[in-house]
Amino acid sequence: MSRKSLKWLPAVVVPAVVVAAVIAVPLAAGAAVDLPDKTAEQVLLLVNDSTVSTFSGTVAQSTDLGLPSLDLGAGMSGAMPKGTSDSGAGMSSADAVSTAIELLSGSHEFRVYVGGESQSRVQIKDRMAERDVVHNGSDVWLYDSSTNAATHLSIPADLLATAQSKAAELDSKLPADLSTPAQVAERFLENLDPSTTVSVGTDTRVAGRSVYQLVLTPKTTDTLVASVSIAVDSETGLPLQVTVEAQGQNAPALMVGFTAIDFAAPNADLFDFVPPATAAVTEQALPTRPDGADSATDSHPGDHSPAAVDSPVVTGTGWSSIVEVPATAVPAELGDNPMLEQLTETVAGGRALTTSLLTVFLAADGRVFAGAVPLAQLQAAAE
Amino acid sequence: MSSSDVRRGARPSVMPKRSSSGWSLLGSEISVLFRRRRTCAMLAAVALIPILLAVAVRLSSEALAPGEGPPFLDRVTQNGLFVGFTAMVVAIPLFLPLTIGVVAGDTIAGEAGLGTLRYLLVAPAGRVRLLLVKYAGAALFCLVATLTLTVSGAIIGAVLFPVGPVTLLSGDTISVSESLARSLLVASYVTVSLLGLSMIGLFISTLTDVPVGAMAATIVVSVVAQILDVIPQLSWLHPWLFSHYWLGFADLLRQPLDLGSFGQNAILQLCYLAIFGALAYSRFVTKDILS
Repeated sequence: MSRKSLKWLPAVVVPAVVVAAVIAVPLAAGAAVDLPDKTAEQVLLLVNDSTVSTFSGTVAQSTDLGLPSLDLGAGMSGAMPKGTSDSGAGMSSADAVSTAIELLSGSHEFRVYVGGESQSRVQIKDRMAERDVVHNGSDVWLYDSSTNAATHLSIPADLLATAQSKAAELDSKLPADLSTPAQVAERFLENLDPSTTVSVGTDTRVAGRSVYQLVLTPKTTDTLVASVSIAVDSETGLPLQVTVEAQGQNAPALMVGFTAIDFAAPNADLFDFVPPATAAVTEQALPTRPDGADSATDSHPGDHSPAAVDSPVVTGTGWSSIVEVPATAVPAELGDNPMLEQLTETVAGGRALTTSLLTVFLAADGRVFAGAVPLAQLQAAAE
Repeated sequence: MSSSDVRRGARPSVMPKRSSSGWSLLGSEISVLFRRRRTCAMLAAVALIPILLAVAVRLSSEALAPGEGPPFLDRVTQNGLFVGFTAMVVAIPLFLPLTIGVVAGDTIAGEAGLGTLRYLLVAPAGRVRLLLVKYAGAALFCLVATLTLTVSGAIIGAVLFPVGPVTLLSGDTISVSESLARSLLVASYVTVSLLGLSMIGLFISTLTDVPVGAMAATIVVSVVAQILDVIPQLSWLHPWLFSHYWLGFADLLRQPLDLGSFGQNAILQLCYLAIFGALAYSRFVTKDILS
């Protein structure tokens, strides 16, 4: 009898060992880290002094914005392939909105390769598919494997040059007391001071590297944001993870961070993107005006002329500021987007999109208000 | 009746020597497994999946829009090498687990049902060896089934469609020989993915003398795991389901090659091997063999 029960021992011990290992391994990886203490200013300096120019890594992003039925939206786009309606026609603005909402919902995994200033590649890993953005010098390629469509943008050299000279001009215009990074960090903290408490949280590990946590906590209670923490690699000063906590929610509202990182330069072949021979290739002209981005490919141009666009107005300060977009500047297609209709709900005075972090209020008169504040404040601002 | 005669006939020289060599037992197990008509029929059906897919695409006049149908199906007309990948995506949720369920569920319960189990266990310490041999046979079947799918996909694709450099999910293009290497990598990924289910099948097979029951239970387990895997409320459980990484071989079709999910999948399957291997051992060595 006892011999027989002894033979049942493996059936108890092995599962117990496996379960213990499954629990213990992540615990060991997240074991307490004790780095030399640094002030918030020193951590900011660490970020500023960072010389990392090449790396490759995996980034995981997860959001919990308390949005309803976003999975439904994702399922819908799967059931009705985009390719049937607008294959190769480039991105319409409605498409761009859907993509933005899709990327902001749920969780995604990316692979990121950076080989210096002018070379980078981001791969969004989808199930059995992938979307790529490849930047190499003056060329930018977008590739979507599910539709097998590639889009090419070329950045004119003179535009790059103007951007660089403008940046240099700005640098020279900076006040003299901002000539060193330390002074920049000091000034940055001073500017934040009225609205935000900046502190250094407990040291921890991200992507297997020890990090300092820079925690920004709003001083006002009018905002939906509870805190923003930035994990900074203790060796290289590269920010490795950003976590945004929302008021009254346990899970982080937004978390983007590396799950693995390697500071070696990625293989240069990665940035030489040649679209597959079978892909539909679209050459897209670089938008001339920032707000006219989609007018070149838009199916209904002339809804609003870019010249008539009023710029958005920001009211309030700091975390509780509200952005007001005048009715004339709101693209007409926005109202027609079925996804947006699903996401918003009817409230007094218009429609509203409420998330745990951001509220958007579409007033009945066409104006759009947005901010990291409760809905009541947006409605008050609309009056 | 006749099949049990065939089985005894297949092992005559093995029986006396079994205590000295487990290898001959393994050899006889494998030859019995792969000479069985049922196994041949299942492998033929596996080979038919890519053939049906390719023929259907070839005969259809209607061109698929990109993104329509199962993954890669719209690429098949341009490049026959995609047939194997599409067939793998189609076969892995149901058909491959079905065949594994039949083979793994039959391992012990089949012998018990035919009354041949006690003859196999004449030698002392024979039970552990028998379990190992039976598992090795089931694992080999996983490999043969996925390779059959891959090879038949490559052949029918090359026969019916043009073959050329293959576009990966990342948009990069690789040569034909590299794509064949990746196909083999995908086949090995799928083989590894099915090892956990095979061990579960072996364990269930030790519980009963009715092989059909063990086969059905194994298949049910695989279906239940996949249903659990799509319920969002159970997301904490998902990474621990043996079927969670089954479609993860997409990572092998990215550039640069990402072996991360291969490793995660292998570790997960090892956990299942350990747990259900221990359960099967304990159950089988304490079992009263009456038939």
